[in-house]
Amino acid sequence: MDDLNASQSTTLAAGTHSTAMNNHIDIDWAWQPYQPSADRPWNHRLAAHVFRRAGFGVQRQALDDAVARTPAEVVDGLIAVDDETPQFRSVADSLMQTVVAGGDPKRLSAAWVYRLLFTPNPLIEKMTLFWHGHFATGAEKVTDASLNWQQNQLFRQHALGDFSKLVNAISQDPAMLIYLDSAVNRKAHPNENFARELMELFCLGEGNYSERDVQELARCFTGWEIKNDRFRKNPYQQDTREKTVLQQAGLIDGEDGVRVVLEQPHVERFLARKWFRYFVADEPQPADELLQPLADCFREHDLCVAPAISMLLHSNLFFSPHAVGRRIKSPVELIVGMLRSLKATTNTQVIAQGLLSIGQGLFYPPSVKGWDGGRAWINSSTLLGRSNLVADILKSDATLFNQQSLTEYLASFDVHNSAQALDHFEMCLLPTPLDDATRTQLCETFSVGGGDREQTLRSLLHAFISLPQSQLG
Amino acid sequence: MPTHFSTTKTRRRFLQSSLGGATAIGIGAATPRLFAQAAQTGSTAGERILVVVQMSGGNDGLNTVIPYADDDYRKARPKLAIATADVLKCDEHVGFHPALRGLRDLFDAGQLTVVQGVGYEHPNRSHFEAMDIWHTCRRKNEVREDGWLGRLLENQRKAPGGDAPALHLGTEQQPFAVASKNVRVPTIRDLAEFQLRGQDRQELRTFLTANLSRTTAAAELNDPLLDFVQSSTSSALAASQRVTQAAQSYEAGVPYPDSVLGQKLRTIAQLIDAGLTTSVYYVQHDGFDTHAQQAPSHEVLLRQWSEAMAAFMRDLQHHDHAQRVCVASFSEFGRRVAENASAGTDHGAAGPMFVCGGRVQPGFVGDHPSLTDLVDGDLKFQVDFRSVYATILKDWLRVDPDPILAGSYGTLPLFS
Repeated sequence: MDDLNASQSTTLAAGTHSTAMNNHIDIDWAWQPYQPSADRPWNHRLAAHVFRRAGFGVQRQALDDAVARTPAEVVDGLIAVDDETPQFRSVADSLMQTVVAGGDPKRLSAAWVYRLLFTPNPLIEKMTLFWHGHFATGAEKVTDASLNWQQNQLFRQHALGDFSKLVNAISQDPAMLIYLDSAVNRKAHPNENFARELMELFCLGEGNYSERDVQELARCFTGWEIKNDRFRKNPYQQDTREKTVLQQAGLIDGEDGVRVVLEQPHVERFLARKWFRYFVADEPQPADELLQPLADCFREHDLCVAPAISMLLHSNLFFSPHAVGRRIKSPVELIVGMLRSLKATTNTQVIAQGLLSIGQGLFYPPSVKGWDGGRAWINSSTLLGRSNLVADILKSDATLFNQQSLTEYLASFDVHNSAQALDHFEMCLLPTPLDDATRTQLCETFSVGGGDREQTLRSLLHAFISLPQSQLG
Repeated sequence: MPTHFSTTKTRRRFLQSSLGGATAIGIGAATPRLFAQAAQTGSTAGERILVVVQMSGGNDGLNTVIPYADDDYRKARPKLAIATADVLKCDEHVGFHPALRGLRDLFDAGQLTVVQGVGYEHPNRSHFEAMDIWHTCRRKNEVREDGWLGRLLENQRKAPGGDAPALHLGTEQQPFAVASKNVRVPTIRDLAEFQLRGQDRQELRTFLTANLSRTTAAAELNDPLLDFVQSSTSSALAASQRVTQAAQSYEAGVPYPDSVLGQKLRTIAQLIDAGLTTSVYYVQHDGFDTHAQQAPSHEVLLRQWSEAMAAFMRDLQHHDHAQRVCVASFSEFGRRVAENASAGTDHGAAGPMFVCGGRVQPGFVGDHPSLTDLVDGDLKFQVDFRSVYATILKDWLRVDPDPILAGSYGTLPLFS
């Protein structure tokens, strides 16, 4: 065997659920920027992949525009943080202020759905959703709508920014500390909850710290409390004695504790692995060696998120068959993706409620671990629920496509029959081509002939989104 | 042995009708397959069924099965002890909480056995961790990728094409206990929800069913994720079809309480009577984490549980199914022997388990654990919970428990 070769390539280890795939991936190749070639051409399908992963999909025109540019330009455009237009922001913010004033956290979800549907910065919202799952807190416990929203804005503000700043902010975030029962943290009874999750779920991963580190780190946070919905340090409750966290001894307070945790090399590996899962593939699990270059990039940029995400989205790996169609869409990706890809508008309350019923209530993650994702999204109930939610959306007169009927919207792309409509849906929504048998069967079952044309097209779309292939993205 | 002509007939009828328009499809198979064969052989009369009722939150076993004759009970529970006169006495030592009238009736009818002091070494007092231990039979430092019932289902590997091997009823996350690599367990919130909606639902069902039976199996395309979604979709459609038909012609033999648990158990009775070959049902009854002001809430929870269990058993009996159903109730831990300062109880260790059915060996297994010989203020366990599992697996479901429990555990005299 060629040793040099072995050291440069790695095998994607089989995930817990999957059979071994034996995908040998050359690590150097994996992280080099993708350059289109005759073998791997840049086309509508790949462009749709980029927009699905780095956002929630785009409509046909944007795909046409994208293929006229280079993939690098497209990715750079997504990373460059355009500020939201004043118009969008004023509508989105006033919507949110109304919700917060009303005080009902249930309505927060709908206000976020509005942002997801209409934001001009989809990657920012995609990362905001990532951080919401990463630093998961739930409105079932944190019932104050404004605290939930404040935290959500924190994620948005730091979406592609400095991870250290985000971690420092989250460790003083009222919603987080209330969620983890750390709103009161006394010298005599240090609360270990936040200290543990900071290492286990937020920064290092399980097994990369000891129980003693948890106890010592918890002492660093004594005196940190939430009073009248605000963070404050209570000097009378601070344990000022020396502590030793992760082999570093000294008199340290909470900020020092966070700093010591963030200095660990596990941080960049832990985040790289989660980003791989979020942007590249559910399974199989990548080997550590494959992720190391991404982790290194994150560390070399002092834990700034944008350069690492940029490296990932430019990479050969991201544009390869190891990534395209290798994730099960989350409920948000499925539903918001369908709507955005067809420029559709609808009742955001219905969407928010529907997302909750199929397993991804915004502001309502199942636990501090966030959503497990991947196969955990899928069971009989959620699959029927996905199809039924799409049925509810398409049944509603409030659902319009670029303010038109689906018939008129598709006609504006010169789409007039079921076969053409399928081409259109496939290009915008499907990671892999539809097989001929399915295509024929769909056209026969939902043929645009006499009858109600609009209803037939909506039924065709409903059937299309209910296909197993449509659950992958 | 009672005969089951009606059951068999019912089942034949709906299998035929489900094959009428569209082609029915398999559940839990790695790839979707036709199942016309199963339709011809689908008799369920002899198949045994396990219903698991999980009491979530940590049920206070000491105020459920009460050692009323023990003075230490009253010492440990100055506020929460149940007055001796109110205890539904079973013998000279123990009795049930007064809210458990229905359970007491089952006991008298010889349909209930209580296993005392069930637990395990080095108990964990975290809800999640303890629940995971009960669900997987594995500790935190071990790889946990499936649950004990999931392993049972994998082990049984029923021929593809039948009904879902297990069903979870509820709105909460699916219990880890039923998780496995290859067998998907559907979750049903209620029967109505488990049907396709929309004007085009008939066409959609026909289309998807035909599509799944004909598409190239994703396994062959080396796409395990698509393969998984395809088989899950098959499972969803098939289960939905059966459940819809099962709901149509059922009359309960007795009134059920209007509680959530009562309605869940009623749904299960319907499904059993419709002749589904599903052999495991799982429901949860939540709220037992009674840290403060325990008495009123614990009483409500116990009453709901007891009334639902009693109605369920009577209904099964009415429809001639009691002989083939076993209902097992457990909680992730009991609570501390001593009450706390808030008239509640904190997380403890060992507790009782309850096994109901037409073929249980009624009575108590073991004495009540000592109230003075404690570990960290908690009751010592006498019976490893895996022994109860082993007995259910071996003596009730007639499978070898060892590979499922990853070890050999003695069995108990639970069934006659």
